[in-house]
Amino acid sequence: MIGVVGGCDDTRRSGKVHVEFWTMSLKPKFIAYFEARIAQYQAAHPHVELEWVDVPWDALQTKLTAAIVAGSAPALVQLNVPWAYDYALYGALRPIDDLMGDDRNRYTAGAIADVTFNGRLYGFPHYSSVNVMAYNRALFQQAGVTRIPATRDEQLAVAKAIKARTGQYGFSPALGKIAGVFLEEGLPLVQNGRAVFNSPAHVALIAKLRDAYQAGGLLKDKLFSEDNYPASIDAYKSGRMAMLEAPPSALTRVRDDAPDIYAVTDVAPVPIGAPGVVAGGWLFHFAMPKGTRDDVAEEAARFAKFLTDDENELTFAKLAGAFPTARGAAADPYFGQLPRNAGAYEKAMALGASRLDKVRTLYAAGGPGFERLNKRLQDAVEAAVIGRRDIREALDDAVAFWNSKLAP
Amino acid sequence: MTVAELPATAHDGVDRASTARRRGMRQAARPWLFLTPALALLALFTFWPVLAGTLLAFTEYNFLAPPKWTGLANFEDLAADPVFWISMRNSLLYLLIVPAIQVGAIVLAVLVNNSLPGIRLFRAAFYMPVVTSVSVVGIMWGWMYNEQGLVNAVLQALHVISTPIGWLTDDRIALFSIMIVTLWRGLGWYMVLYLAALQSIPKDLEEAAKLDGATRVQRFWRITVPMIVPTILLCTVLSTLSAMKVLEEVLIMTKGGPVSSTYTGLYYAYDQGIRAFNFPRALAASLVVSVFCIAVATLAFRVLRPRHR
Repeated sequence: MIGVVGGCDDTRRSGKVHVEFWTMSLKPKFIAYFEARIAQYQAAHPHVELEWVDVPWDALQTKLTAAIVAGSAPALVQLNVPWAYDYALYGALRPIDDLMGDDRNRYTAGAIADVTFNGRLYGFPHYSSVNVMAYNRALFQQAGVTRIPATRDEQLAVAKAIKARTGQYGFSPALGKIAGVFLEEGLPLVQNGRAVFNSPAHVALIAKLRDAYQAGGLLKDKLFSEDNYPASIDAYKSGRMAMLEAPPSALTRVRDDAPDIYAVTDVAPVPIGAPGVVAGGWLFHFAMPKGTRDDVAEEAARFAKFLTDDENELTFAKLAGAFPTARGAAADPYFGQLPRNAGAYEKAMALGASRLDKVRTLYAAGGPGFERLNKRLQDAVEAAVIGRRDIREALDDAVAFWNSKLAP
Repeated sequence: MTVAELPATAHDGVDRASTARRRGMRQAARPWLFLTPALALLALFTFWPVLAGTLLAFTEYNFLAPPKWTGLANFEDLAADPVFWISMRNSLLYLLIVPAIQVGAIVLAVLVNNSLPGIRLFRAAFYMPVVTSVSVVGIMWGWMYNEQGLVNAVLQALHVISTPIGWLTDDRIALFSIMIVTLWRGLGWYMVLYLAALQSIPKDLEEAAKLDGATRVQRFWRITVPMIVPTILLCTVLSTLSAMKVLEEVLIMTKGGPVSSTYTGLYYAYDQGIRAFNFPRALAASLVVSVFCIAVATLAFRVLRPRHR
């Protein structure tokens, strides 16, 4: 039921190729940036007419799905990786291997890997994020913590010490995305078509999280929410939490809203798990809905490559406090050279850029009905961490449920 | 020969009958003609979506491919999902606030049905939560319920509790915490309805009872309550249906957590449709909730219907 998209009769009459592209929640901050790029591109390509539509992130899936069904989808749409995976799974996106060509080498390997599903490329990488660990030096000193935690185990131990000695919380791991937490630690969810997240290693990880939770080391507010970021940053800004795992842009909020906390903030790398992947990778890219007319697809691909070239990615990254996916932009001295009197934000940007090769978007790749499996896993972990259920029993039940649904 | 002098024939009788029938039909059609615009809008925006939604509940459909008829599969799926049963149990538990909200609203209405100085201020204050956006209410109560929020601070200052309570993070009490917010939001609305009912009671009834020596309590139970029974019925049915359909408070304050302990029937449907993008299962859940609401409303009408006037 996918119709022809990305073009219209009016533009055919005018002799111009109409390329509509959607971005995700970039207005109003980036209006000037995109308007300048649109004007520049249209001046260089007079046969192309660009139309920019910015859609709030929480409405994007609904609008895009409706547009695809109605045959009025844009030629390019900015998506995150899990959403793109779902759309690709349903055959709603056009693979872009042919349109990308050799330009794929311009992007970081991690970014290309993020948008490759079942061997096909589905997006032009735009920008990504990398988590760093901001910590409150004053709380660390008060708690007698002298060594910055480098592993998840050390971080959980520090969280307990912070609670015991200062009364404040340690940190807030993203337990609402437990699949990602397992994957960061190199613990698989499914192997050979069977759920395996009840192994001793999985149980041990949940046990450590439960110990830290029960010792009061983890921020309880929104701990199991899909998005615990706002609660975490609020707790950190108010001095109620000692460590904040977040992208560098979070530190600009600390700097602006809580200068006293910012003054005692320093940054360190987030603990890296067994697979050597840095947490917090969240890639945004431009995908192309299936059914886009060939002439529109070619022009849209050219425009996407323009938006994601070294120069534009660098400008965007500086504005957004994000990280580029174009190799040339990522290698720019802006990310490597710390200015004098660098604050926590500048240090975080430099630290994040140094780890771009190790960052990946971690998510559980599902299929139809995956939400329900994920919900069962989330509930099992939550019940185990807060002590309502035995860890092994909760994970066993969830595994049995998964396997009943995964069975061919 | 004038028309008036024409002899009556059998045809004339038939004509008169058919004319009368036509006139009758026209008269019968007239109200429908006036109703047509509204009915057309209702058909387009209410009846058709309800019908289409009901049919889709029996299909597999993801928007990107045509619906595939699957019979009762979505309902069987619901029956096998423990979260759905938690949701329905919570919707039933939510009915606990119906008597609380009705008693509270009647008491408030009686209290503010006095002509004391500044009473309008109190009436407005009690009504404020009704006109406040549910988002604002949810965020405000979220802060108050926070472990370091106002509720815990007050209770600790009064030495009622020694350690903070996780009002929204403890799965054993989170649902009741949200119920308190619903109660707080709803009191003012029902208070106004009861106030209108109280003010419509003829004053002479009370005065006659006073002359007969009836006490205040006797007057309340023998005059006030019987006179507002129709309002009690209306408010009970309305609050029952509202309780069954609670969604916004859960959405803003807990999103169904912790451990799915605050899922309600309608939140489950919302979650399936908007978050999981499983529209047929969401519609199946909505259908079950709707049938449940109709059954409860019918029961409430039967039990509370005034037996005599």
